[in-house]
Amino acid sequence: MEYSNLRRQAAYMKKSLFDQGYLDEQFYQLEELQDDVSPNFVEEVVTLFFRDSARLISNIEQALDKCPQEFSKLNAYVHQLKGSSSSIGASRVKNECTLFRQYCDEENLEGCLKSFQKMKREHAVLRQKLESYFQLLRQVGPAEKATRPSM
Amino acid sequence: MDPSSRAAASTASSGRPRDALRPLSDFPVGLRVLVVDDDPTCLKILDKMLRKCLYDVTTCSRAVVALAMLREKKGEFDLVLSDVYMPDMDGFKLLEHIGLEMDLPVIMMSADDGKDVVMKGVTHGACDYLIKPVRMEALKNIWQHVVRKRRNELKELEHSGSAEENDRQRRLLEEGDNASSVNEGSWKNAKRRRGGKEEEEEEVEEREDPSTLKKPRVVWSVDLHQQFVAAVKQLGIEKAVPKKILELMNVPGLTRENVASHLQKYRLYLRRVNGPQHQGRLDTPYTGSSEATFHSVGSFDGFDLQSLAAGQLSPQNLMALHSVPGRVTNTSIGMSSVDQIGFFNSSVEISNASNMRPPLMQQIDKKQMNFISGPPTSMESRQLGQSQQLVQSYGSMGLQTSEGASGLFNLPSSQRASTTFPGGSINANLSNSLVMQMTHQGPQFSLSQQQNQIHISMPQLPQTRGPIQNGIAGEHDSRLSTTIAQILPNDISSDVLGSSGSNMNVDTSLPGGYMNASSYGSVSHALYADFPNSCMNESTGSCYPLARSAGATSLTSTGMLQDVMPPVGNVEALGSSAGLKGAKDSVPNYDLFSELHQSKSQDWKLQNINVSYHSAQQLGSKQSNIAFGCPSLAHQDSIATIKDGSCRNTCTVRKEIFSVRTEIGHEKGECIAQRNSTILLENSVRVKAEGMSDHSCQDLLFDDNIIPDELMDAVGKKHQEGVVQVDPELSFDGYSSGNSVARWLPPNDATSYGLLQ
Repeated sequence: MEYSNLRRQAAYMKKSLFDQGYLDEQFYQLEELQDDVSPNFVEEVVTLFFRDSARLISNIEQALDKCPQEFSKLNAYVHQLKGSSSSIGASRVKNECTLFRQYCDEENLEGCLKSFQKMKREHAVLRQKLESYFQLLRQVGPAEKATRPSM
Repeated sequence: MDPSSRAAASTASSGRPRDALRPLSDFPVGLRVLVVDDDPTCLKILDKMLRKCLYDVTTCSRAVVALAMLREKKGEFDLVLSDVYMPDMDGFKLLEHIGLEMDLPVIMMSADDGKDVVMKGVTHGACDYLIKPVRMEALKNIWQHVVRKRRNELKELEHSGSAEENDRQRRLLEEGDNASSVNEGSWKNAKRRRGGKEEEEEEVEEREDPSTLKKPRVVWSVDLHQQFVAAVKQLGIEKAVPKKILELMNVPGLTRENVASHLQKYRLYLRRVNGPQHQGRLDTPYTGSSEATFHSVGSFDGFDLQSLAAGQLSPQNLMALHSVPGRVTNTSIGMSSVDQIGFFNSSVEISNASNMRPPLMQQIDKKQMNFISGPPTSMESRQLGQSQQLVQSYGSMGLQTSEGASGLFNLPSSQRASTTFPGGSINANLSNSLVMQMTHQGPQFSLSQQQNQIHISMPQLPQTRGPIQNGIAGEHDSRLSTTIAQILPNDISSDVLGSSGSNMNVDTSLPGGYMNASSYGSVSHALYADFPNSCMNESTGSCYPLARSAGATSLTSTGMLQDVMPPVGNVEALGSSAGLKGAKDSVPNYDLFSELHQSKSQDWKLQNINVSYHSAQQLGSKQSNIAFGCPSLAHQDSIATIKDGSCRNTCTVRKEIFSVRTEIGHEKGECIAQRNSTILLENSVRVKAEGMSDHSCQDLLFDDNIIPDELMDAVGKKHQEGVVQVDPELSFDGYSSGNSVARWLPPNDATSYGLLQ
C-alpha cells in the first residue's frame, strides 16, 4: 500500500510539473532513454544539468555585474543555458532564457536584469521540485521505470 | 560495433571496408559518430540517444580535441555531430576543417534556429542542421548523410573519371530499374531495399574494381593538404590546375581527379573565407525563392543530384548552392521558382524516400519539367507550392527541425519521407503520355508515409496500360491521375478516374484519394484542394466529381476511410453473386478481387493489380472488357485492402465496370479507354447485357445490400435471356434510394443512369 501510494504520489508530482509548465515533451525523451543499461539516466542528466547551469548562471551574474554592456557575451552565456535547459525539457527556464536573449538583442539592460532574476528563480524552483521528485522515485524503488503519465 | 572487426576492417584510406565485414542488414548499426558539444548535459543526452540508435559513439567536448582525434584516427568515423557555439572554436570553422581535411559528413546542432545561422551551416557545407533540443527521431536518420555523401562522391568520381567508367556508371545509375545486367540488377535490388543502401555502396565498390581505374577514397591529411596548398600557392590560385598541382605535389598514388575535386572544395572554402561578395550570386537567387527551405538542409541534395547529373556543378558547389534552390533550378531548368522548388522538393523527397537514383530522378524531372513548362495555372502553382510546403513540413518532420526522407528533405522525421510523388508536383496540364512516360520510366518509388502508415511501392507498370492511358482523355483526368499517381500507378488511377469519372458524384471518393488522404492527409489536401473547383466546371465533367470527392475525401480522410470498409464486402458479394448468376467469365475476375481483398492492407500491391489486370486480359474478349474494369477493381481492392474501401469507391468501380460493360455491347476488344472517354464525354452509358460480361456488370451494380431481391431477379431474368438490353431507367431507377449504389450521383446526363439517391 505504501508502495503504490508513493507511486501515485510520484506520478502526481510529475503530472503537475508538466501541467504547470515546468517540464515539457523533451523530458519524456529523457525518460525513454532510461533503460537497464542506465537505470538512473534521467536523474543523472538532471543532476548534470543543474550543476552545469549553476555555473552558467553565476557566469551571467558576474557578467551582469562587471560588464553589463557586453550583451553579446551575455547572449552567448544565455544561449548555452537555453540549449541545455531545452535538452532536459526545463520549459520555464528555457522560456526565460529566450526572453533574456531578446532583451540582450535590444540591449535593454534593465530587461536583462529582470529577466535574469526570474530565470534564477525558475531555475531554483525547478531544482527543488525535481529533487523531491527523484527522491520520491527512489523511495518507490529503483525498478520503477518512469513512464508517461496517462493523462 | 565490434572493435576488433572495426580495427581489422578500417583502413587508412577509407572506412568502407568496415562495412563489408558487417552484415548489410545491420546498417546503420554501428555507424561511427563523433559528437562535439561543450554542453555536458547535451553531450550526455546525445550520447545516450545515439547509442540507442545503435551507433558507435565517441563524445568530445572540445572542438580542438575533436579535430585532433579526427586527424589522428583517420577513417574511423563516419559522421560528425557538432554544436555551433563552442568556446574554443567556432563550430563552422570545425566544419570547414573537417570538410577539407577529412571530407566527412558533418551535422550542425544548435538551440539557435535563426535563419542566418542555419544558412551559415548550409553555406559552410553542413549536411544538416538540427535544432536543439534534439530528439531521437532526428538522430535515427542521420545515417542517410553518410550514404548520400558516398553516393555523391561516387558521382564525383564518375564525372572526373575516365569516359568509359563514367559511361558505364552513368548507365548503371540511370538505367536503374530497367537494368538487366547483373550489376545493374544488383543496383536495382539494392535500391529497392530500404536497408540496402550499404549494399549499394558495396556494389558500387565492387564494380569499381574491374574498372580501368580503381579509385579508392583519398583522405586528405593535414600534410597532404599542406602540400596541396603549397602547390596551389606556388602556381597561383588562378593558374592552379589539377594537373600542375599534381605534378608539384608529386605524391604517388594521387590522381588528377583527386586533386581536381579537392581543388574545387578548396576554391569554395577560399571563397567563403575571402568574402561574402563571392557568394552574392549564390544568395541572390535564393531571395527569389519563395520557399523557405531552411529547415532541411539536406533537402537541397536533390539539387545536387540534378546538377551532378547535369554535370554542371561540383558537390561542393552544390552544397554551397543548397541555400539557393532557385539558382539550381534556374540553371538547370527554366521553370518558375515555385514550381521548381515544389518540383525539386518533391523529387528530392522522393529520391530520398525511395533511394531513387539521381539520374532516374533527373529523367523524371526533365519529363516533368516538360509538362510543367506548359501553362501552369495559378492553381497548379499554388498546389505545387502547397505540396512543396507540405513536403517541406514533411521533410522537417524527419529531422529534428524537419527531417526529410532524404537528406533532401531529411524528410519524415520518423523515418522516411513520404510525400508527394513527382507526379504530385506535376499539376500542370499533363497529358496522359506523361503519365505513361512516368510509368514507363518504371520509377520504383517507395514512398512511405512519415508515420509509417503507408508504404507505397510503385513497381514498373506494364506497358499494356499505355493504350488505356491514352484512351482516357481529358486534362482533368491527367491531373487527377497525376496527383493520384502519387499513390497509384498512373494508369490505374487514370483508369479509375477516366471510367468512373463520368458517373461519379461528389460523394464518391477517389480510391487513390483515399490512399492519399489517409496517409498524406495534408498533402493530398493541398494537391486536391483546388482540383474540384476547376474540375467541376469542366464540360466533360466526368472526373470532376471524382476530383471533388477526392478533395473532399482527402479533407476528411479518416472519416471517409472508416466508411469505406463495407464495399470490400460488397465487391466480394458482387463477385459471388456474379458467380451465382453463372457469369462464368466474370467469376475469375471477381475471384481475383476476392484475392485482392485478402491481401494485406496498407500496402498498395500494385503487383496484384497488375496480375489481375493481366490475368483478366487473358480471358476472352468479353473478359478483356472486364479486364479493363479489373484494374480498377483490383485497384479498388488495393484500396480496400488498405481499408479504404468505401461504398463510394465500390460504386465508382462498379460504375466504371458498368461503363466498361456498356462498351462491351458496342465493341469488343477495342480500346476500352477510348470507349470510356467516349462514355465520359457523352455521359451516357448504354448498358447492353451481353452474355457474361453484362451479367457481371449488372452483378456489380447489384450490391447485395443494395438491391432488393426482386430487382435482382428481374435482372437475373435478363441474364438468362442471354442478351439483355438493359434500359438504364429500367435497370437502375429502382435502385434509387437507400443504396450505396444509389449514392452515385447521376452523371451529367441524368438520364443515362437511373442511379439516384
